[in-house]
Amino acid sequence: MKRMVILMVAATLAATYAFAAGGQQTGGTDAKANLEASLKIDTSGLKSADGQQLLKPSTDNRKVPTRPANPDALPETDPLHWYDMEWAGWNANKAAVPKSPMTGAIGKKVVLIVHGDHPWTTACINGAKKVADAYQMKLTVKSPNWDLAVQNQMIDQAINDRPDMILLIPLDAKTAPQQARKINQAGIPLILFNTLPDAAAMDYAIAWTGPDDFGQFRLLARTFADELRRRNPGAKELGVAYVQHAPGGSPYFARCYGPISELASYAPEIKTLDKQAPGFEADKTMQLVSDWLTRFGKDLKGIIAADDSAQTLGIVEALKKAGREDVLVVAAGNSKVGMDLVKDGKLFAITYQTAEGDGALAVQTAADWFNGKEIPMRRNLAQHIITKQDVDQFYPPQW
Amino acid sequence: MRSKHSTLTWVDKNRIFLLFAVVSIFMSLFAPRFFNVFNLTAIMKTVAMNACVAIGFTIVMICGQLDLSIGTVITFAGVLGLVLKGPLGYAVSVPVAIAAGAAVGLFNGLLVAKAKINSFIVTLGTMTILQGAIYTMTKGNTVSLSTPDAFVVADFLAKPLLPLVTPRILITVALVLVAEVFLRRTRSGRNFFLVGGNRNTAWLAGIKTDAYIIVAFVLSGALAAVGGVFFAMESSAATLKLGDQSLMYVLSATIIGGTAMSGGKGGVFRTVVAILTLEMLYTGIILFGFGNEVKIFIAGLILATVVLYEAYAVYKHEREVGKRPELVKELEAAAAAKTAGSPRR
Repeated sequence: MKRMVILMVAATLAATYAFAAGGQQTGGTDAKANLEASLKIDTSGLKSADGQQLLKPSTDNRKVPTRPANPDALPETDPLHWYDMEWAGWNANKAAVPKSPMTGAIGKKVVLIVHGDHPWTTACINGAKKVADAYQMKLTVKSPNWDLAVQNQMIDQAINDRPDMILLIPLDAKTAPQQARKINQAGIPLILFNTLPDAAAMDYAIAWTGPDDFGQFRLLARTFADELRRRNPGAKELGVAYVQHAPGGSPYFARCYGPISELASYAPEIKTLDKQAPGFEADKTMQLVSDWLTRFGKDLKGIIAADDSAQTLGIVEALKKAGREDVLVVAAGNSKVGMDLVKDGKLFAITYQTAEGDGALAVQTAADWFNGKEIPMRRNLAQHIITKQDVDQFYPPQW
Repeated sequence: MRSKHSTLTWVDKNRIFLLFAVVSIFMSLFAPRFFNVFNLTAIMKTVAMNACVAIGFTIVMICGQLDLSIGTVITFAGVLGLVLKGPLGYAVSVPVAIAAGAAVGLFNGLLVAKAKINSFIVTLGTMTILQGAIYTMTKGNTVSLSTPDAFVVADFLAKPLLPLVTPRILITVALVLVAEVFLRRTRSGRNFFLVGGNRNTAWLAGIKTDAYIIVAFVLSGALAAVGGVFFAMESSAATLKLGDQSLMYVLSATIIGGTAMSGGKGGVFRTVVAILTLEMLYTGIILFGFGNEVKIFIAGLILATVVLYEAYAVYKHEREVGKRPELVKELEAAAAAKTAGSPRR
């Protein structure tokens, strides 16, 4: 029996050596015609489920500042302390990134690897598919269900598929450089999107696309400060607390230190009372906010939250129980829960975070690259703050 | 000609090799892009970490114990290896990480063997303590290295020396061979089976049972650390969930490979073949286009089936031992003869 087993294993391995082969690159026979046809495709008329333009041009015209010699030496209230995160990618060395084949986007094989299953992800994939369909791309979606080891395996399998491009939402900012490097070394073009990776990953990617979390939250912080001042005229000190995102990822920093560093100069009378990351469960957030209300009393004038669904539900519930209608709440959005709360007046403002637009922008950038267009190192989604005045325009919600 | 009973026994005994053959042939023939060097190397790389961990875990199970702390030891060693790499270099940080894993194993072993605490409880406690230590050490952040020298080591560990064989795979294969030879061909190795089979009998035979249990846990800790630290070196990163999936994976493979949960039976090589089989199966599932949720479902189904089968086998065995079928037959025959010879009323 042992012999039989050994023979079987040996035969399997031998056959592997004999027949194993890598993939093959796809390539059209008439690249020029394909390019011409691809360039004629117009995606500007595509709409997302909320009736908005799917691919809104970015409204961010800020100039990239010069990197300080040592950003870490600056205080956390200085925006330049966060330079390597906020401006990640703008100084990347793209020497190893492949050049566009200029063969057109039509028919290209693209693998999209997301971070995990979530209603947001579903909307994001829908947006990606709309653009992919417009260009007749063959889009394959893989979801590792929030497991980094599985995402790494999916990257291996994607490399094994030899697609024309990989689009990746890195699950962990700090492991993204290794993932990007592996894909780059396999000679497959890569676009990172949605989650900001460590700056080192940008060297291996054609571009990063997605929401400019820092930019959005600087905008949100200004709207928040204006309203807080309007509600508390002449106040010399206004206390604010932050409900943070999960530690580790870029939103954890952007959605807390973005507004802190913005308000330090824009509204210095606004003081940080506390900042905590209770996770994404309404009951835990409610407990946290109830503790704040006991601890800070009337000094707590506002709350800035990293999530407009479960976290905000917890905040609203705690405020309701304490009978505090004076506390101003803003959050990152824009889920159905968040939009409904804005409509009800319980949440003052949320950021416009188009999930469909996020996926769509990544695929559009891939198409532009195949079409030989010049790609900036970063492509941000359009920024907008939703308030009660315009929330109706964003119904029905994308997720 | 083989009787039906002996055929079933043979199939059961060699089930993992048969399963391996079936899965590998099926996936090679039908799973898209399964059968090429890149994919098979990727499978082998994934197997390498868990195979390393499974060596020690199998030895612990052969001793009739359980080590639930392996997953956190993997993470702990990976994180420690990278955190210490900066100030000390890999030459020091890797041995320290492995020694730390062994120390965790020693702690587990002493509590199980000397304090006579159930290994399930002890290792569950160690797992929780280590999780806290990992979070304290990293402040909740992933540890990563993006320096050129870290990439040099990572590239060396990942680059195949021969098709399918990277240095990390080679290290794992060497460890598996050493462990298999040690367990099968040396007296000390065979004593682990005796300790697991019947601890009291082993002790009466002059075997230092406590020492064997302690050594089993030390090996489990050290080998889990080897798996974790080399994986982290190859990735140049260690997340706080690095070893989270390994416990269920290794446990399933060890049972599927034929190691008895009650101890005294099993083997490292069979466990490693089971890991390889499971990995091929999971990769095939993804290549067929099914989602990760299908993979998780099938993994659970396999584990449940095997545990159920093991429980049935143990029940059947105990029932047979209790009945002593030959003795029962003898007694029945004697009773029948007695009845036949007794005067009628």
